[in-house]
Amino acid sequence: MALPRLIFVTGKGGTGKSTVAAALACAMARRRPTTLADLDGRQSAARILGHQAGAAPDARVAPDVRVGTNYPGSATTILDGALELATLTPRAELEAFIQRIVPLRAISRRMLKSRTFGYVTAALPGLEAFLMIDRLRLIAGRAALEDRFAVIDAPATGHALELLGVARTIESLAPIGTLNRLARAVEEFLADRNRFGVVLTVLPEELALREAIAAAGTLHDRLGIESISAILNGVAPALFTSAEIDRMAALGGHRALAQRRRAAAEFAVHARRELKRAGLEVVELPMQYAAQIGARELAAMSAALAAGLLEGAAPPAR
Amino acid sequence: MKPQTPSFDLARALGDRRLVICLGPGGVGKTTLSAAIAIGDALGGRAVDVMTVDPAPRLLDALALDASDAEPQAVALDGLGARRGARLRALKLDPKATFDRLIERHAPSPAARDAILADRIYRNLSNAMAGVADYMAMERLLELTRDATTGLIVLDTPPAREALDFLDAPRRMLELLDSRAVALLGVRHGAMRGPLAMLDLAARAVLSAFDRLTGLHLLGDVQSFVRNFGGMYAGFAARAAEAQALIRDPRSFIVLVTTAEAERVEQAREFAAALGALGLAVGAIAINRLMPALPAPAALLSAAITPALKRKLARNLEDYAALRAREAGAIAALRAVMPAGVPLIAAPDLGHEPRTLADLAAIARSLHAVE
Repeated sequence: MALPRLIFVTGKGGTGKSTVAAALACAMARRRPTTLADLDGRQSAARILGHQAGAAPDARVAPDVRVGTNYPGSATTILDGALELATLTPRAELEAFIQRIVPLRAISRRMLKSRTFGYVTAALPGLEAFLMIDRLRLIAGRAALEDRFAVIDAPATGHALELLGVARTIESLAPIGTLNRLARAVEEFLADRNRFGVVLTVLPEELALREAIAAAGTLHDRLGIESISAILNGVAPALFTSAEIDRMAALGGHRALAQRRRAAAEFAVHARRELKRAGLEVVELPMQYAAQIGARELAAMSAALAAGLLEGAAPPAR
Repeated sequence: MKPQTPSFDLARALGDRRLVICLGPGGVGKTTLSAAIAIGDALGGRAVDVMTVDPAPRLLDALALDASDAEPQAVALDGLGARRGARLRALKLDPKATFDRLIERHAPSPAARDAILADRIYRNLSNAMAGVADYMAMERLLELTRDATTGLIVLDTPPAREALDFLDAPRRMLELLDSRAVALLGVRHGAMRGPLAMLDLAARAVLSAFDRLTGLHLLGDVQSFVRNFGGMYAGFAARAAEAQALIRDPRSFIVLVTTAEAERVEQAREFAAALGALGLAVGAIAINRLMPALPAPAALLSAAITPALKRKLARNLEDYAALRAREAGAIAALRAVMPAGVPLIAAPDLGHEPRTLADLAAIARSLHAVE
């Protein structure tokens, strides 16, 4: 399968979205210039890479990954660094849109400051979200032209599904006209495996697994998204056979801990099977038994993601 | 299970409270903890209602809750050692139904009610607008407080995009319906003067540009929407004021739920800071799914098992010790960014999703202060 130009990383809260997005962006940046963007202004993925907001351009977030620059608020500048950090906000996208349709700057500026402004968004719920997704379409289009990649540290599954589904709503609200054409372009973008792919982070836990499988169903069946992979994060090696655990009868707490380990490993096997059965590509990331997730752990995740997702993938379509 | 430390005792802290609000980022187990707190308090002999927002199927099973029923349902506490007077009811929030009910209550006339319920913008708003679920949770809460037989209400909140989505919902809803803004779009063209007229013009310019672009007739839709809603402003304002008073009541208690993970520390800090900015205090921080205490390594030395198995057990212990150290680091970081004096309580990780009422009761019993 070809590698999509833009990879949208989502998953249940706490499954390691931002960490996976950060590690994946580093893996991609080793191949091609890559944009790592978040949609909530928190810059969590950038922070995980140890990048401080406002840091000087050319800072390195890994020995071989250089950050181009950091520009809060807009994603329109493209530069030479291997890894570009960006933040997209609904407000900025909406402002750009209002400025586009109200050419008189004095009025548009006033408009943006006023409370009445809320009406525009209230009148068309989902407009901000739609403009964000449309921005992703533009980023992916640009990435294809310039042979780049983009990784999006997206919101948690529930919000991400709302976000991705909003083009449908806009399309039904606006049966004709520019907005309708834009909505259809966005839907085509989401369904194009060369341009758009979703990576779902999953923990080997019941709730996370169930939510990921349900989300994958919605992404594919309702939103027509073709490229969906699951990253099974925190997979514990089994370490103990059940026979070994039986021999630990007198060991109390140690036995309980060994059982915990084995149960976690068994659930990971089950989770992998269920994800595959749901038709997903699965890449496993081993549990990091470390007191903190530092450069070494990120490098290991990055390597595992490169091996699982990038190697063997056909070069992306230009 | 650790003994309850004298420094902070949740049961005691909740003794005279009437409302517990569980807030926190998505995925930390707010719903589970809300249910556990409710069960713990009910078993102690109170009449408790717990309102869940998005319960997992297993939790619905554990509470034997019918998700399609919007009314509070009794939860049987048999066999859990409940004290006299114990009563637990659970309900699942249905934002859309609550919103419709709210319109029915506040609409000035049946015609206005029908107009709003059929309005395209209302239908979008009630289904899609972020924050409607938050506002409706607040509205349903006010309905629940009417029942004088209830001693304590435990409220689970929708996963928050922003820290204050839930507490801020009534204010934002009011802002949307604000009479001045209604006037801006609702009045005859040209009747306004001064800077307001400028905004009015700008709003009209944007909406009519929209209409030209899309053929949506938004300008007309918005005007009719705000006119329809205008008559209900007073009712909404009174409700919002009630909600604000309830949250600020000294008998309300806010529990900030989180997990001991580095990524959560910043989110938890944002929540606490946002609450602080509203003049609200966090009653307790609940750290969910804390790992159990580890066994002593010494027990391995004398064990009658093969050296190979001993080595594996030692490695297993080392692995989990690293995870415990990560947890401890996150807890220390959490404490460092939280206002001083806010008690930290922890709920243990069962190693699986809570499946039964007994699981939830076990979590409730083992809620303990973190030193």
